Amino acid sequence: METVDLARLQFALTAGAHFLFVALTLGLATLVALLQTRATLTRSPVHLRMTRFWGQLYLINYAMGIVTGLVMEFQLGLAWSGLTEYAGNVFGSALAVETLVAFFVESTFLGLWIFGWNRLNRWAHLALIWVVTLTAYASAFWIMVANGFLQHPAGHVPDGAALRLADLGAMAGNPAAQLAFWHVMGGAMLTGGFFMAGVSAYHLRRRTPEQDFFRKSLRLGLGLALPAAMFTVTFGGLQFQTMQPSKVAVWSGRTELMAEAQTAMTALHGPGDWLPPVAGVRVAGVLMMVLWVVMIMVAGTGVPLMAFRPVVRAFRPWHWLLTLMIPVPFVTMLAGWVFREMGRQPWAVYGLLTTAEAMSPVTPAQIRVSLAAFVTVFAVLVAVNYWLLARHARRGPGAVALGGTPVEAAPAAPVPAF
Amino acid sequence: MEIFVLAFFALGYLVLAGADIGVGMTLPYLGRTAAERREVIAAIAPFFLGNEVWLVTAAGVLAGLFPELEGELLSGNYTLVVALVLSWVVRDMGLWLRGRVERAGWQALCDGATVAGSWGLALTWGLLLSHVLLGLTGPVTVLPALVVAALFGTHGLAFAALRLRGGLRERAGVLSGGAGEARTYALTAAALLAVGVLAGLRLPLHPGTSGPVLVPVVLALVPFLVAAQGWVWWTFRHRVTGPSYL
Repeated sequence: METVDLARLQFALTAGAHFLFVALTLGLATLVALLQTRATLTRSPVHLRMTRFWGQLYLINYAMGIVTGLVMEFQLGLAWSGLTEYAGNVFGSALAVETLVAFFVESTFLGLWIFGWNRLNRWAHLALIWVVTLTAYASAFWIMVANGFLQHPAGHVPDGAALRLADLGAMAGNPAAQLAFWHVMGGAMLTGGFFMAGVSAYHLRRRTPEQDFFRKSLRLGLGLALPAAMFTVTFGGLQFQTMQPSKVAVWSGRTELMAEAQTAMTALHGPGDWLPPVAGVRVAGVLMMVLWVVMIMVAGTGVPLMAFRPVVRAFRPWHWLLTLMIPVPFVTMLAGWVFREMGRQPWAVYGLLTTAEAMSPVTPAQIRVSLAAFVTVFAVLVAVNYWLLARHARRGPGAVALGGTPVEAAPAAPVPAF
Repeated sequence: MEIFVLAFFALGYLVLAGADIGVGMTLPYLGRTAAERREVIAAIAPFFLGNEVWLVTAAGVLAGLFPELEGELLSGNYTLVVALVLSWVVRDMGLWLRGRVERAGWQALCDGATVAGSWGLALTWGLLLSHVLLGLTGPVTVLPALVVAALFGTHGLAFAALRLRGGLRERAGVLSGGAGEARTYALTAAALLAVGVLAGLRLPLHPGTSGPVLVPVVLALVPFLVAAQGWVWWTFRHRVTGPSYL
């Protein structure tokens, strides 16, 4: 493979791993915030236990999202300095706003939420999880603003050999960012909802003692997944209006449209292969849509079923099905992301900067070594995350450390450290 | 103004996260048993997430306000930056995942990751700074790197002495002598600030063009960010008396 392909593979693996973790994090954060709101308002013990159990799974997954996110942030400057030099003044601003407005606040308050159980006033503690959840949405929003700019540049003006940010509002209001943000948010809720329903179904099928706990969780999970599926497909459909002509052509599979797109691009940018990989884009797009149909069928039949308590308690084939559904939203999210990103090729910034031009002047050996190192680390992270999530999910709410009786008991006369 | 924004977050990272990197480096010395190590980790547990985010933000500010420098700095030091990021990931996983499995082997593995990652971070920072600050190349860069790592370690010991009690506090205060841990912390913090400022002075800090749009946004936010972190420090101002969630 050429160096640029290795660099692309490295970024794709980083972003793909990050995207998998983040999809679940966003969905679970929302569910945990809803559960903690219920627990705080009604002082219901089962909802408090639900908050702690699902909160612990959320935290395990969040940790993976953070570390893959770090790698991604540094990769832009490492392997794509051509992109940061050319467009950094515009899309780098979205990244800066993301880290400042969203991620800084999210991390600070998440630390308070984790370690502040039984220490802070319960309303303050509830406010923390909402701040964490809303800043996670804000984070996703600004990342989609950065990505939307690469897909469909807006808010910039040319300035010498680089671009300049002319209108932050236009960049943030870019339809390629806005519609994609809502689409991704829907996908994240779908992921979180199916995860919660699937884990709950596992416990109901195994007839573990926590029947009430998991019946309520299953209903909450499916109750979120169904509207999320409708929401996602709506914003997915709307995005076709803003899609790049070359991606539309490749997706349609019609040779005359592809030839038209190729001719138009050649007229603008000179000779070259200006179409994205046809097979990759089409397979990813079809896979995304087929899996969406599977999910809407399972969620659509599941929601009426969950009204009947005996069914929720004892309908084992359904429990099996829901547990088997856990990976489906993840695969769908990845397929959608491949469809979006591969469909942008050969452009890093659509119509302005090619991926080959965006690359840093690094040697093939450097990329090979870093790719091997990152692949190893990501493989370990994905495996460990899967193992820990499964282990904690299987053990059930009895074995949760988060929010338990304070292990760090305050002494009678606390000694200030600073 | 752009330079002050970048300096604020970069120097904030060095002082705040420098302490928990140092605690990670000295973990085998401070915590002789698994229980002790868990208590030592509890000293940094509520802070480390809020501390490391200063670097995430510094990198974000670099991307937005100094895009050209970001590309040069990161791709120009490719291998070192990759090592830095990997150390960061390894260390974070050690810290985050230690308490999730109640097995001695798992916890020893996680402690090993925390220590190795912390040393990796300190040494790669040392190499990067000696590269940027002194323009050194070749084996001689190891010397300033070791000095920087020792500085992180001392800073961590001072912070651990501020946060821990009893025998652990005494162990952490070994270098403070009669001066007291607060004074040692102030000194090591000042030394880290000096290193950071000197490195900054050597960088070609020519801002990009998005400052007029971005800087006002940043300045309006800074008081909130500082207040949020102040809340964390106020909530966890007492000395650690036992293990925590991590």
